[in-house]
Amino acid sequence: KIEKPKSIKCGTFGATSLQQRYLATGDFGGNLNIWNLEAPEIPVYSVKGHKEIINSIDGVGGLGIGEGAPEIVTGSRDGTVKVWDPRQKETPVANMEPVQGESKRDCWTVAFGNAYNQEERVVCAGYDNGDIKLFDLKTMSLRWETNIKNGVCSVEFDRKDVNMNKLVATSLEGKFHVFDMRTQHPTKGFASVSEKAQKSTIWQVRPLPQNRDIFMTSGGAGSLHLWKYEYPAQRSKKDSEGAEMGVAGSVSLLQNVTLSTQPISSLDWSPDKKGLCVCGAFDQTVRVLIVTKLNKV
Amino acid sequence: MPVWLREYSWRQSPSAVYLSLPVRGLRVTPGSIFCTEQYLKVSIPPFLFEAILYAPIDDTNSTAKIGNEVIFFTLYKKEAAMWDSLTLANANKEKLQCLRENAVLRAHEKAKEETEAKKVTKQEHKKYALEATMKLEEAERKRIEDLKEKERQKVTRDLELWKKQQDAEKQKRAQKEVELHQEVEQLKEKKKEKMNKTRIPTEETSKTRLKTTRGHGSYSMFSENLKEEQLPAPRAAATIKINFTSRVFPTALRESRVAEEEEWLRKQAEARRTISADLSELEDLKEEEKNPDWLKDKGNKMFVTGDYLGAVNVYNLAVRLNNKLPLLYLNRAACHLKLRNLHKAIEDSSKALELLTPPVPDNENARVKAYVRRGTAFCQLELYMEGLQDYEAALKIDPKNKTIEEDAVKIRHLIQGTTQDS
Repeated sequence: KIEKPKSIKCGTFGATSLQQRYLATGDFGGNLNIWNLEAPEIPVYSVKGHKEIINSIDGVGGLGIGEGAPEIVTGSRDGTVKVWDPRQKETPVANMEPVQGESKRDCWTVAFGNAYNQEERVVCAGYDNGDIKLFDLKTMSLRWETNIKNGVCSVEFDRKDVNMNKLVATSLEGKFHVFDMRTQHPTKGFASVSEKAQKSTIWQVRPLPQNRDIFMTSGGAGSLHLWKYEYPAQRSKKDSEGAEMGVAGSVSLLQNVTLSTQPISSLDWSPDKKGLCVCGAFDQTVRVLIVTKLNKV
Repeated sequence: MPVWLREYSWRQSPSAVYLSLPVRGLRVTPGSIFCTEQYLKVSIPPFLFEAILYAPIDDTNSTAKIGNEVIFFTLYKKEAAMWDSLTLANANKEKLQCLRENAVLRAHEKAKEETEAKKVTKQEHKKYALEATMKLEEAERKRIEDLKEKERQKVTRDLELWKKQQDAEKQKRAQKEVELHQEVEQLKEKKKEKMNKTRIPTEETSKTRLKTTRGHGSYSMFSENLKEEQLPAPRAAATIKINFTSRVFPTALRESRVAEEEEWLRKQAEARRTISADLSELEDLKEEEKNPDWLKDKGNKMFVTGDYLGAVNVYNLAVRLNNKLPLLYLNRAACHLKLRNLHKAIEDSSKALELLTPPVPDNENARVKAYVRRGTAFCQLELYMEGLQDYEAALKIDPKNKTIEEDAVKIRHLIQGTTQDS
């Protein structure tokens, strides 16, 4: 058991190799630290990256998944999203910040995607005013943005290490949207389908590592819902001007269960055993669950 | 007076009596026949036939057959004996009457009993049906439970197996690592010994890295090429500037609250724009004195220095210019409290609260203050119940405020104190 002076909000193993297993954490003071859990007194890497709490963190390039440099992205209440490389101290590799004079919004969630070769990377960030922005790290530009009318609690790509396929964004008021990321229309962006699952906030979404069309959402009423996405007959079609436009598929609920009266704020699948997942809730319990019959879905 | 049917013929056997009654041209229904143990009546108005039987019969089993123009009765005797005649001979009027009444009574009772019995059987049938369905549902539920239980057990078993597998694999990996290590050592020594030009075809690397891919381990044997992963250099640092979809409120966007928030914003915008009817005195004022915001600030300053009357005057002027700004009323209420103009304080707080609808997180602070001020005024007027209500409203909006809580408790004690005395 290790305790640190500042409360830790989020963490990820995503950017470390399988041997090293360093944990990258973001805390309430805006510090990003990478810890070697065998020697946790001094972090391997530390930087005061943000002025306010780091709400969300994601890592890519480690764990034997994907290619390219290991990178960590952090999203903070100070409205900025920064990408760090553990080999480069002090300064972020990329910084997405509001224009001078613009009032900042809370960035609630970040996710990596599209890391299918060494150069390509994409970061998706969701904010409390409903904005979702997609940043392309190869061209260092904003690739797409949209607003889903409710504060965005969680964004996840269905797989980080492939050509970006699907993005699920969950929000307040029990709604979530699934975007088909294969076809980007110049003005309309990506096609999406949205579903209202429950009356409360959907805190987290996690796609199953073994089957990227199945994902689980966790809700503010202490429930977990398992969903399956079905692709449409044709994933893209031409619009009136001949530009390619994506077609969204449909989502169906496979199963749901209510575990607690408090929100389930975090959720993760095991990459080794299909159906094994762990979730943590506000009632101070961590639950390990197993979902069966995923082969038959 | 009924017309008596007197033509009838009968014969008997030891156990039964056969009576045949001609009813020419008359419509006979089962209802027209009335029969009890010792009394038989056929009534087809205006015709009537009755007979007081010689001996009791079994009226439940006896039958009446209605055929063309004749009713044929088969009456089973209770006691097997030969009757002297069909009817009892010396039956005077009273006896007849008695018998008739008895007969009717008995018939009634029987009817009642029958209905009772029917009801009881119906109940029992219903109960039985219900039990049957319940049993079926139970069985179904149990079946589903069993399926689930089996599934659960299977999965736990699988999990155990998988865990053991993982452990076994870990051990294997550890072993292989040890072996590899040993091989490395051996080969190193060999190399040192050999010292010839032909190098060992493979490259030695300073670290042996085992590259594992997802799912199973592929163990690179020493003879294979072990290349250290070529990671690209860190990116060139860059900044991307972004804009946000504008939002006035600092809280997160929720679809359900959008309507209320819009209303509040609209009201605020309107409030700024209204300028009430011109008053001739206004022309004497300087430019800045016509701005309600500037006046509000001036009033606030006077309040802080203690010049409550002056502050009230300034707020009055501001209200005349723009009577839709809730903060003016709110602050004037505070002044009135200090001046002990309690009724005026209550009025102003109420007006402020009116203007502070719809309730959004933005005007929370203002609403709390309004409730507290009004509550204080009520208490000072000794209207403790109203005061307590306002304090509790304030507490609902801001539950974490200790002073409000303490004051509310004090008021409650006061109320309880006064009710005990009276």
